[in-house]
Amino acid sequence: MNLSTSSILDIADLLTRVDDDHELLVELFFIFRSVFPAHLQSLADAINVGDVKEVQTESHTLKGMLLNLAAPRASAVASRLEEMGREKQLGGMKEALAAFQVEVELLLTQMEECVNGLRR
Amino acid sequence: MKILVADDDPLSRRMLEKTLHKAGYEVVAVRDGSEAVEQLCKSDGPRLALLDWEMPKLDGPTVCQEVRKKKDQGYVYMILLTSKGLKTDIVTGLSSGADDYLTKPFDSEELKARLRTGHRILHLEGRLVEARENMRFKATHDALTSLFNRGVIIDLLGREVSRSRREKVPTAILLCDLDHFKRINDTYGHLVGDEVLQEAARRLVLSVRSYDYVGRYGGEEFLVILNNCPAATAPSRAEEIRTAIGGSPIETVSGALSVTLSIGLHQADNWGSRPFEELLHEVDSALYAAKAGGRNRVSLAKPEISSDQELVSRSTQS
Repeated sequence: MNLSTSSILDIADLLTRVDDDHELLVELFFIFRSVFPAHLQSLADAINVGDVKEVQTESHTLKGMLLNLAAPRASAVASRLEEMGREKQLGGMKEALAAFQVEVELLLTQMEECVNGLRR
Repeated sequence: MKILVADDDPLSRRMLEKTLHKAGYEVVAVRDGSEAVEQLCKSDGPRLALLDWEMPKLDGPTVCQEVRKKKDQGYVYMILLTSKGLKTDIVTGLSSGADDYLTKPFDSEELKARLRTGHRILHLEGRLVEARENMRFKATHDALTSLFNRGVIIDLLGREVSRSRREKVPTAILLCDLDHFKRINDTYGHLVGDEVLQEAARRLVLSVRSYDYVGRYGGEEFLVILNNCPAATAPSRAEEIRTAIGGSPIETVSGALSVTLSIGLHQADNWGSRPFEELLHEVDSALYAAKAGGRNRVSLAKPEISSDQELVSRSTQS
């Protein structure tokens, strides 16, 4: 996936998937914000200690959440991390994690803008 | 209809919950595989399930295997949810007992369409079970009266006598015969005779407890087994049954007919080691004695039946 050309949050796709239910969309963003930090921390810890199995598990979970949120860029990086875990490829994991954190920060910002837009 | 959603991802779980709720389902949501197995194996548990592949405790394919192994009644239609897209993964999932799979992120229309397939399968299974139950009923019940047929009631007698002996609980055996039934058939025709048999069967069933057994033993003969019925109370129970038939006329298309019942009664608090066939023979002799004694009465069976062992129960009508 080319990260520069794909959207951070495909809001049209997400709205289709939730049957245009704005209330549910806001609720999903809220759930993500509340559960995401713990998973990110577990992922970072696993990378630090070289626990490739845990890297695979956590990045798989995060990928699933991000796919549900129609966040293609962040989910693509999570998918890359999952593959690195599966392939036991420790080299480059920290860089991939850093890239993932950047993508998620961008996503959280877009989510907030989206929520504000829906409230207006 | 109830549906189970098993997913440890709260986002996915909530999306599924809301989508399915809007589609009219009653959603049961759980967070791990062992909770899913527990819910699906309940007798009134959901018959449709959406199972995430990766879950704590048990993964989706293992949940499918466990449910297929443990649940012997009521098919559960299970769909695996997965972000795995490899052919080998799909084969693994379906081999575990899943009926279908859906790739995450799911499309709500596709999800609903796949669930409709599940409905069709469950509906078909329901019809098959119903047909099997109908066949089983026909094989074990008398077509005219819907009572147990001769083979089944004799089998039940054998089992109850054994149980009575094993658990040391008393059982009473009643062989009943409608008096002058041939005369009803000859006078009013067989259709009226059938009406009498049906109503007599209905009254017999109503006059016993839900855990007693009533079967059609022959043409107008019925075998009644009263479980856990002490010898001291068996005669009065037999009298109640006799009165249930003779106490009021039976309405037929040819008018109300008075019908009476003769009963041979065998009762014991301990059957010892005697075979049930012997007991059946003795109760038959008791019935014969009731007939010979004037009908519409209860006669008590003994290994050597004699007239002084007969219970006085002749009604005022006879």
